[in-house]
Amino acid sequence: MNDSLPALPPILLVDDEPEILHSLKSLLRREFTLHTAESGAEALKILAEHTIQVIMTDQRMPEMNGSQLLHEVNQVSPETIRIIFTGYADIKAVVDAINCGELYRYITKPWDPDELIDVLTAATKEFQRRKHQQLVLQEASEFCRHALGAGLKSDLCGEAKRLVDRIKAMNL
Amino acid sequence: MADDNEVTRLLLNAQLNAWGLDVIAAKDGEEAWRLFRKHQPPLVLTDWIMPKMDGLDLVRNIRSHPLDHYVYVVLLTAKSEKQDLVAAMDAGADDFLVKSYDNQELRVRLREGTRILRLEQTLAEKNREIRNAQAALIQSEKLASLGQLAAGMAHEINNPIAYVANNLAVLKRDVNSVLEILAAYRGQLDQIRLVDPEAADALTRLERLHDLNWICDNTVPTFDASIEGLKRIRDIVHDLREFARLDEAELDTVATGDMIRSTLAMMQHFISEKEIDVTIVDESNPRIDCRPAALNQVLHNVLMNAIQACAQRDRIEVQVRESDNAVLLEIRDSGSGITDQDLPRIFEPFFTTKKVGEGRGLGLSHCYGVIQDHGGSIDVKSKPGIGTTVRIELPKSPPRQSAENGV
Repeated sequence: MNDSLPALPPILLVDDEPEILHSLKSLLRREFTLHTAESGAEALKILAEHTIQVIMTDQRMPEMNGSQLLHEVNQVSPETIRIIFTGYADIKAVVDAINCGELYRYITKPWDPDELIDVLTAATKEFQRRKHQQLVLQEASEFCRHALGAGLKSDLCGEAKRLVDRIKAMNL
Repeated sequence: MADDNEVTRLLLNAQLNAWGLDVIAAKDGEEAWRLFRKHQPPLVLTDWIMPKMDGLDLVRNIRSHPLDHYVYVVLLTAKSEKQDLVAAMDAGADDFLVKSYDNQELRVRLREGTRILRLEQTLAEKNREIRNAQAALIQSEKLASLGQLAAGMAHEINNPIAYVANNLAVLKRDVNSVLEILAAYRGQLDQIRLVDPEAADALTRLERLHDLNWICDNTVPTFDASIEGLKRIRDIVHDLREFARLDEAELDTVATGDMIRSTLAMMQHFISEKEIDVTIVDESNPRIDCRPAALNQVLHNVLMNAIQACAQRDRIEVQVRESDNAVLLEIRDSGSGITDQDLPRIFEPFFTTKKVGEGRGLGLSHCYGVIQDHGGSIDVKSKPGIGTTVRIELPKSPPRQSAENGV
């Protein structure tokens, strides 16, 4: 965005209360490139247009609630790290979300500002780590393919393929 | 007993004493009224015609005198006309005995009086009981609706607190930035003075007018105090919610093993931080009817206590066992344990061994309440230096009214 500063990791915040979004934006603007949405539908639209490293959504929203949204996100953008933030009342919903949506973390409202920045930073790091591993994996696969084409000994290739499979099995 | 005739008085006194009654004798109406107010006897036997105050006036006085028990009044008289009886009863006498009565008649009349007094006493007692029960009921209803009100308020307050707290943190940070920039500008004041002394003077005047030095020194502490105050509000709201236990969903059937696993998953962060070895012993997964949110909270509290008691690389074991109509959860940790003095107090509200400000001492008392609501039991065994075992027993389906009573 700004040429003189390093690009900040893009994250998406979802809450139906504009005051909350505004407040979060002021807090997080220095560390992240911020996208905000006031509903699940709006959030999904943004996800379709941008690469989002981390999505953090409120649980209680009209029409589509947080865990439903994260379930959708898991389908359309599985690599995006998912965080739910919620009032104390919604523990059951959070448990559901963890069980079916592989939630990264949950944050209770009201949140601690410093802690929130830490959690989101850790989440973007996690995204980058996974991305990086994916790249390494891809490179390894490419390498194997080329090596095969170049007539490398096939038992060595088999070994390399098994390694790739093992990395895949780590469920990155 | 009042009678102006000394002989009658003596005879009556002796007779009444012989029947086991405790007698206070008065020689006229006035003395009777004075003695009555002093001793407040339940039974009054009085002559009609007496000097100073006659029997009718005495009865009227007694009736208009507020007492917490009933007084049974028998009027003794030589008058025997029907209108005399009416006048005596109208004045408030309970019974009317015409002189020349014999002792037997007096005895049965008095027995009647004491019987009525006894009935009246029982009635008054029952009334008192009803009143007390009613007061208790009103009190508990009041508490229940207060709890609902508090929890509803707490819920509504939560969101504004969330962004106000956040905004304060943001403002503090941003104002700090502004102050930093301002300090840099102020550093250049001498340069400005060289170029434009008038502008420099104007700036200095403005700084003094608003006492900029004070602002620089006090802004951050003001933010800190506000943030601290808001944190206290947040804690109070949080406690209110816990106590009202309104955060609870309706009854639901859940698999206990799944519940433990998901609670542990939520706490993974703390578990890995201390590298605690958590094992779920024999993976049974019995289903129970419960308020899942409340039970999750209990598990969360108990497990969090276990984690906090643990040192680096300690162990936590969770075991789920099942009988015909109950489920037994055991959470064992190899952590620091609880001393013998503390152990009996752990379920007391506000009891905590944490430092002031770190824990409000409501975790386990809340757990206890929730388990009670579910018709279950929770107990804790512990040895300092060896570890703690928490046993929670829950019926597979809680008794209806107890589970639904949780306000």
